[in-house]
Amino acid sequence: MTLELIEVRKAFDGFELGPVDLNIDNEVLAILGPSGSGKTTLLRLIAGISSLSGGAIRLGGRTLDSLSPEDRNMGMVFQDGALFPHMTVRQNIAYAAAAPDRVLALAERLEVTALLDRKPKTLSGGEYRRVALARTLATEPSALLLDEPLSSLDRPIQTRLLEMLHLLFDELDIPVLYVTHDQRTAMALGNRIVIINDGVIEQIGSPTAIISRPRNRFIAHFTSNENCFDAHVADWTDAGAVLQIGEVRLGTTAQQLQQTQVTACMHPSRIAISAPGAPTAERVNALSGRLIRHLFQGNEYRVHIDIDAAPLTFAVTVHPIVFDRLSLENRSAVQVLIPFESIHVISDRPA
Amino acid sequence: MKLDSASVIMTLGTALLALYAIPVLALVVSVPSGELLIQLTDPVVLRAARTSLFSASVSVFIATVFGLPLAYWLARANSRLKTVVLAVVVFPLVLPPTVSGMMLLTVFGPGSLVGDAAIVVGIPLTRSLLGVIFAQTFVASPFVVVTAKAAFETVDVRLEDASRSLGKSRLVTAQRVTLPIAGPGILAGITLAFARAIGEFGATIMISFYPRTMPVQIWVAFLSQGLENAYPVAILLLLIAAGALMVLHTAATNPWS
Repeated sequence: MTLELIEVRKAFDGFELGPVDLNIDNEVLAILGPSGSGKTTLLRLIAGISSLSGGAIRLGGRTLDSLSPEDRNMGMVFQDGALFPHMTVRQNIAYAAAAPDRVLALAERLEVTALLDRKPKTLSGGEYRRVALARTLATEPSALLLDEPLSSLDRPIQTRLLEMLHLLFDELDIPVLYVTHDQRTAMALGNRIVIINDGVIEQIGSPTAIISRPRNRFIAHFTSNENCFDAHVADWTDAGAVLQIGEVRLGTTAQQLQQTQVTACMHPSRIAISAPGAPTAERVNALSGRLIRHLFQGNEYRVHIDIDAAPLTFAVTVHPIVFDRLSLENRSAVQVLIPFESIHVISDRPA
Repeated sequence: MKLDSASVIMTLGTALLALYAIPVLALVVSVPSGELLIQLTDPVVLRAARTSLFSASVSVFIATVFGLPLAYWLARANSRLKTVVLAVVVFPLVLPPTVSGMMLLTVFGPGSLVGDAAIVVGIPLTRSLLGVIFAQTFVASPFVVVTAKAAFETVDVRLEDASRSLGKSRLVTAQRVTLPIAGPGILAGITLAFARAIGEFGATIMISFYPRTMPVQIWVAFLSQGLENAYPVAILLLLIAAGALMVLHTAATNPWS
C-alpha cells in the first residue's frame, strides 16, 4: 500500500508548510528536522487531526482529505505517548482493539504483559512508550505515524527500543513515517530520510546519501558535518575536479561542476587518520596536521585536527582501537586521509 | 510570644473558619429539637422544601446540559469571541440577585412580549415554578460553565486527538476520555451550582413569590412571625444543602470508578 502526499500545504500562525510531495511505500520514512520545522504538523495532517490548506493525501489510491481522523485508519503514536491516565494499561490497549484477544497478543509482542493492570502514571518512560505503541497497533492501522516516540528517554532505553522498533517495522510491512530531530534515530530506522527545515523539504535520500552527499550546508550541519569549506576548482584530473582550499589542494571525484566557486563537504565519519608519513592508497588526499582536542563519545572519539599547510580544522570520528593504537593525545602529529569520493562538492555559492 | 509564619497562617485560617462555623452553630443551638420536628411536619414548610429541592435539581440539570457544551467550547476555542462570551457567562455572578430578577422580569414578566405570549399559551413565566427555575438557572448556571471550562482545560488535547486517531468518534471520545478526566471538576461546578440554586432568594422573590422556595419561606416566616419562627426552616435548608453537598462531594471524589 502506498501513502501519497500530493502538494500538501498548511498555513497557520504565520508558518507555512509545504508544498510537500512524497510517496511512501511499505517502508520506513524518517522525517528529520529541527524543532518547529513542520514535522509534527505533517503527521497531524496525515492523521486528519489538522486540516489541509491545500493538496491531497491518498492511501492505497483512496483520498483521505474529507475523512475524519477516526475513519482514516492511521495509527499515530504521539510524542510522550498520550496514554489515557484514568485507564489501566489493559484498558488503554483494549480501547483501540477490535478484538479482545489482540490485547494480550500485543502486550506480549511489546513486552508489557506484566504491566496490564497498572495505571500509566506508574510506568517508566520506556514502558509508557511501549504501551502507547501497543495501543496504536491494536487498531491494525494501514499506515503508522510516530512523533518522536523515543524523545527524552535514557540512552540505554532508547537503544533497546530502537532495536525493538526495527524488528517491528520489518514485520508490519506498511508505510511508516517516523518523525524525529535525532539524526542517530533517523539513520538507524529510516530506509529513506526526509530532511525538513522551516516547512520545506531540503533533501530526500538514503541514510548514506544524506550523510555523504548533503545538498546544502544546512543539511551538512544538521547531520554533524563540520567539515564544509569554501573552495574553488583549481584543476581537473581523470578522477575529477581538484579543489583549492587556501593552500591545500584536494583531489575529488566530482564531475561536470556548473561553477568554480563551490563548497566542499566531507563527513567526519568518512575521513581517516594515520601515523605521520604512513603510506597512502591511490585517490586518497593525505594532509599532515596536529590533534588539537578530542572528545570520547562512548563508542568513538571525535577529534579535531589543525592542518599544517593551511588554517583549516577538520573534525574526524576515530574508532577507539585506532585512537589507542596511534597513542593519540592533544598535540599529537597525525596524517588526515580523505578519499577522493568522500569529498562532496556543493555548487551553492554565488559565482 | 514569638510570632512565626506557621502560627500566623493558622491564626488567619482559624479566624475565617470561626466566621463560617459560629453562626451555623448559633443557628442550630437556638432551636430546640422538638420545635424543629414540629416544623418538619408543617405542610407549608414541607411544600417549600419540595419546591426548593425540585426546582434546584431541574435548574442544575438544565445548567449542566446547556452549560457543558459551552464550557467545552470556551476551553478549546481560539476565537477572539471567547473573551466576550466568557464575560457574558460571568455576568450573572457579579450582578446583585435582585437586579438579575429585575432584568428577567423585563424580558419574561407580565407586559413583556415573551411574558404575555407565555401567559396566552397557559405557561406563565412569573409567579410559577417555571419562574423559580428560570431565576435559579440564571444565577446558578455560570458556576457550572466556569468550573467545567477550567476542568476541560486540564484535559490534554492530545488525549482527545489520540482517541480520534484510534478510531473513536467525537461523542465516544467525550464519553470515555474527556468527561471521565474532567469529571471531578465538572461535579464540583454542579455542586456549587446546586448550592447556589437552593439558596437563591433575590431573583426568585422578584419573579416568583409563589410557589415559595425555602429561602422565600424563611423570609415570610421572619416577616410575619419574627426571627425565632424562621430558625427551624433555616436549619432545614441548612441540612438539605449540607446533605446535597456531601452526596456530590462523595461522587466527585472518585467518579466513574
